[in-house]
Amino acid sequence: MMMPRREFLVAGGASLFAAACRPAHMLGIDSEVAPSFCFGSPTEREIDLASHLLNRCTFGARPGDRESLQSLGSTAWIETQLNPQRLEDTEAERMLRRFPTLQEPAGELYEYKPRVLLRELVCGTILRAASSRRQLLEVMVEFWSDHFNIDIGKGDCAWLKVADDRDVIRAHALGRFLDLLRASASSPAMLWYLDGRVNRRSRPEERPNENYARELLELHTLGVHGGYTQRDVMEVARCLTGWTVRPSSGFGKGRVEFHPHEHDDDAKTVLGRHIPAGGGERDLHDVLDLVASLPETSRHIATKLCRRFIADDAPEAAVDAVAETFRMSEGDIRQTLRTLLTRPEFVSARGTKLKRPFHYLVSVLRSTDALTDGRSALSDFLTSMGQAPFQYPTPEGYASGAAAWERTLIWRWKFAAAVAANRVDGTRIDVDQLIRRAGGEGLLMAHVLGRQPNATEQEAWKATGGGASGLALLLASPAFQRC
Amino acid sequence: MLSAFSPIRDDRRTLVVLFLRGGADGLALVPPVGDDAYHRARPRIAVAARDAIRLDDRFGLNPRMAPLESLYREGQLAVVPACGSEDDTRSHFAAQDFMEHGGADVGGGWLGRWLRQRGSAGGGALTALAFGTAVPESLRGAPSATALRAFSDLGLGAAAERLTPHLASLYAADVMLADAAHDALDALNRLASLHESSYLPANGAIYGNDDLAVELKRLAQLIKTDLGLEAACLDVHGWDTHFLQATSMEPLMARLASGLSAFATDLGSRLASTSIVVMTEFGRRVVENSSLGTDHGRGSVMFVIGGGVRGGVHGRWPGLDDDALVGPGDVRVEQNFRDVLAAVLARHGNFRADLVFPGYRVQPIPV
Repeated sequence: MMMPRREFLVAGGASLFAAACRPAHMLGIDSEVAPSFCFGSPTEREIDLASHLLNRCTFGARPGDRESLQSLGSTAWIETQLNPQRLEDTEAERMLRRFPTLQEPAGELYEYKPRVLLRELVCGTILRAASSRRQLLEVMVEFWSDHFNIDIGKGDCAWLKVADDRDVIRAHALGRFLDLLRASASSPAMLWYLDGRVNRRSRPEERPNENYARELLELHTLGVHGGYTQRDVMEVARCLTGWTVRPSSGFGKGRVEFHPHEHDDDAKTVLGRHIPAGGGERDLHDVLDLVASLPETSRHIATKLCRRFIADDAPEAAVDAVAETFRMSEGDIRQTLRTLLTRPEFVSARGTKLKRPFHYLVSVLRSTDALTDGRSALSDFLTSMGQAPFQYPTPEGYASGAAAWERTLIWRWKFAAAVAANRVDGTRIDVDQLIRRAGGEGLLMAHVLGRQPNATEQEAWKATGGGASGLALLLASPAFQRC
Repeated sequence: MLSAFSPIRDDRRTLVVLFLRGGADGLALVPPVGDDAYHRARPRIAVAARDAIRLDDRFGLNPRMAPLESLYREGQLAVVPACGSEDDTRSHFAAQDFMEHGGADVGGGWLGRWLRQRGSAGGGALTALAFGTAVPESLRGAPSATALRAFSDLGLGAAAERLTPHLASLYAADVMLADAAHDALDALNRLASLHESSYLPANGAIYGNDDLAVELKRLAQLIKTDLGLEAACLDVHGWDTHFLQATSMEPLMARLASGLSAFATDLGSRLASTSIVVMTEFGRRVVENSSLGTDHGRGSVMFVIGGGVRGGVHGRWPGLDDDALVGPGDVRVEQNFRDVLAAVLARHGNFRADLVFPGYRVQPIPV
């Protein structure tokens, strides 16, 4: 049933081959002929620094990734990843051209059906994570998508989340936190999701809607123990009254506007700071500037970053250092990551985290150099594993820690078995070629595991008969669930 | 570790939701044969009082629903007429969306929120299933939700025998994942023992060959296998009966009733820990149209079976006189679907109405 590779590509499949690894005749695009073996499989029995960086800062090592990391050196590699605009990314960009909705301005998105938008957004997200060379950017996009979670199922988010993903999350994922926060606060999707659009006070007896104000303090900035009170929530809500989104019926749909007559323009006090009367739309910026600059925010963001990159139980010393950089650099995300990724706690915490389902699924595609169209079969698996992108219902986003995801093993195994046997629609793996390109079964195992296989793994591989069954077992193994 | 699969603790109950897609006519399912207005409005398609299966002085069950009569007599079937949502668009899409999300502009589905809110109480390998090719909106945001076409969708397929022994040995040494792997392997073993062809329904239950019957039979098998299934969704299509209503609706009703009856019989004592809810997005116009059908309306009916249900006809009946109707002549919604669901969910334990139905003040109807 398997299509010849060339036909599959013509039929709309997309290759995840590292450009340098792709034999020219296969795609007829790159003139460079690839070296025969370019996996650069690890030789150590434990996860080395290169594998560790690929585990934590990318969605998995594609064939050749280790080699390029090692030839650059880890410091330079991190620097390249922190400056994604310097990395050409034509392969991912070419794939994304298939999804015109992702480029539509907010107002135009209403011309499409919600299920088309969701499909293209999820598909685009999977393909970017799987094929973009700007991996740390994609990892941070996932991080901020949870931090500023929006459930695409709520009201007009069905249309507007596409713009939020592009103009808020992607635009600022490696930029300044304050810019990200400002973009999010005036994102039409966020105004919908957390009811900011109906937060108004045209008459003194009208009570502001506190939903966004609370989550802004609790989730987006200070953190739940960030020292604010219910009174602060109410005062922030007052500051933000009057911001709304044009409804989907009529002219200018999806446009964000400030309605002065719906704004509470009296004086407020937020976290001890006086906000004078008559501020109008400036109140929003005053509030965001204030909360973004507070040390509680630095600590909250640093803790979440350390949980994502180091350990579920974030080490104090690392949190302190990362928070300090965040504060000193005024929320420069790249600067903050630079500190984090060179911390000894980061360097030593190898293979200890559980990949979340999205990370797991994409790492399967990347490590096996799968050809994929990114379509619904993959998002169906993510739904079974409990991490359907952009569909987490409540504002805190998908959980970071292992405890929330341990119960998804059965679906990971199922995916491993199905994908290795080429039983996932729209995704193909050529196991024999993988083994050949890696330079043998042992080297393929080392590439997938990020270290030399141990005795149990080698025996298990042999006992399955190797090939597609061996690969399925490897992808289902505990080591591959971790990063 | 095995405790995760031990049968029937209070959090081991299964909720089964049947959604009748297309706006099922409550006045045909449960005709108010005691109301003169009903017969006046539907001179050609009304169910005659003598044909209906008597529920109380006003309501009867459509004769095609006869297989449900014994459940009703045993107090295992609750009927909630004039039931529906606030959505008055009379649009299939909008009304289904409203119900499945559990309100307007609410993120995620009500089942998804409920399962997440319950947390890892169950923690089984198989939390939520939808029969068919897609997971319905109501399950959006669930900790895990899977569309099931066949049992083979659940296991590891052909690779199972080769993989599972090695998975066991590889995971045994993994501190973080050993317990979870043990449970997952246990679930896989149980799944591997499932064979559709050799399954013998209990208590003499006889299923038909239609899709719904086949799905309900599979579901009964899964429930009895103790996989920790907390919610299952089934769709029944074809209820949009604008034209020659009887022709299309009678076989549907017959299959619905015989399927549910066989399912309840097959579950036997397990029916006590299984709640079955039957719902639809809206009911239909009271007056029949020129082509012996009915058009989109408002209030319909909900059924609840099993799980400790209080049988009987529940709620207020607004009547069908002209001044009681809403919009172009529709049954007024007197019972909100959330208030029925809330009563059911409360019996499944660990239910927080404010999280499952945010922005709605739940007043459970004691079904």
